[in-house]
Amino acid sequence: MVSFFLWFLGLQATLFGLELTPWAQSWFVVPWTNTLAAISAGIVKLFDPGVLSQGKVLQSASNGFAVSIEAGCNGVEATIVLVAAILAFPAPWKRKLVGLAIGIVAVQGLNIVRVISLFYLGQWNFNVFEWAHLYVWQALIMLDVLIVWLLWVRALPRDPPEVTAAAAAAH
Amino acid sequence: MRADSDSLPRFVLRVVAWLPLTFAVWYLAAPLLVWPVALLAELATRSAFDWVKSVEQTGPLLTFITSLKPAEAASPAGVKAVLSVESNVLLFSFGLPMLAALILAAREPRRVRMLLIGFVILLPFQTFSVVADFLKNAVILAGPAVAAQTHISGWQRELIAFCYQFGTLILPTVAPAIVWVLMHRPFLERLSGRIKS
Repeated sequence: MVSFFLWFLGLQATLFGLELTPWAQSWFVVPWTNTLAAISAGIVKLFDPGVLSQGKVLQSASNGFAVSIEAGCNGVEATIVLVAAILAFPAPWKRKLVGLAIGIVAVQGLNIVRVISLFYLGQWNFNVFEWAHLYVWQALIMLDVLIVWLLWVRALPRDPPEVTAAAAAAH
Repeated sequence: MRADSDSLPRFVLRVVAWLPLTFAVWYLAAPLLVWPVALLAELATRSAFDWVKSVEQTGPLLTFITSLKPAEAASPAGVKAVLSVESNVLLFSFGLPMLAALILAAREPRRVRMLLIGFVILLPFQTFSVVADFLKNAVILAGPAVAAQTHISGWQRELIAFCYQFGTLILPTVAPAIVWVLMHRPFLERLSGRIKS
């Protein structure tokens, strides 16, 4: 457990530091945020045609209300936490890669729900929007990361206890 | 109550059921819950920087009163003004209701004790985030005229910017999750059958 936490904290700090570099921002974070806005707009258009996306902004054509997807709302930090948690846990690499693929989709999927829900909450009531944006959704996304990680850990093949202990000690 | 291998969905449902109540209690009790953060933030900032004069609490808001002079254009002629910076502690403490919901949903023994321990453990992390937020506003956003009075160098400003980002985007959510995992190792072992010490 101690080894896991040291790896987890080290990986998280490294990945977060990398995310803040201008290179990562221009080549990964900004394009991903724009894609997230486009995906969200594409989903919303299925039932509400009057929605536009431009860059990282999702806007209602009917009333002009817009949300801009900023750092902390693009799911990148939550993904970093999940990636660090899966990579730090002693497990076969194949299982880690499968966990990462499914886990990232799960976290980003819920994040799209967050963006769309905030888009409509903001048009309905700004106080509720602020509460959901600043507090509730932040906690729910981290809860999602924790649940995805627990599901992944539970899905790992059960080795004999001594093998598991040896793998954890060697990690 | 012992958790069996099939209880994860039920555990998640219990967490979601507890969240509205824990968020309501957290919001209503904010002036009380924020008070220790105000004390720690004042202790930290006044110890480290002689230009921080006091920290005042109004509900969940902290106001850092400094001796820094704003740029001349910011204050009318003849008026002596000092820089004060406001920080909303709720922005950095929303992990507290999440931790409470996780503790209550796990149904392990000594839950009240765990809630108190979790609250105390999270105080330094919340203080870190609040102080980083204050420093970002005072040293970086207030402009070069104010920054020059703080005698904080370029690399220190970079460090403050990193600490602010880390204290805003990572710490408020990750710290409660780590605290919960550390306090619930037996529960997690039963839940997953995988996590070994």
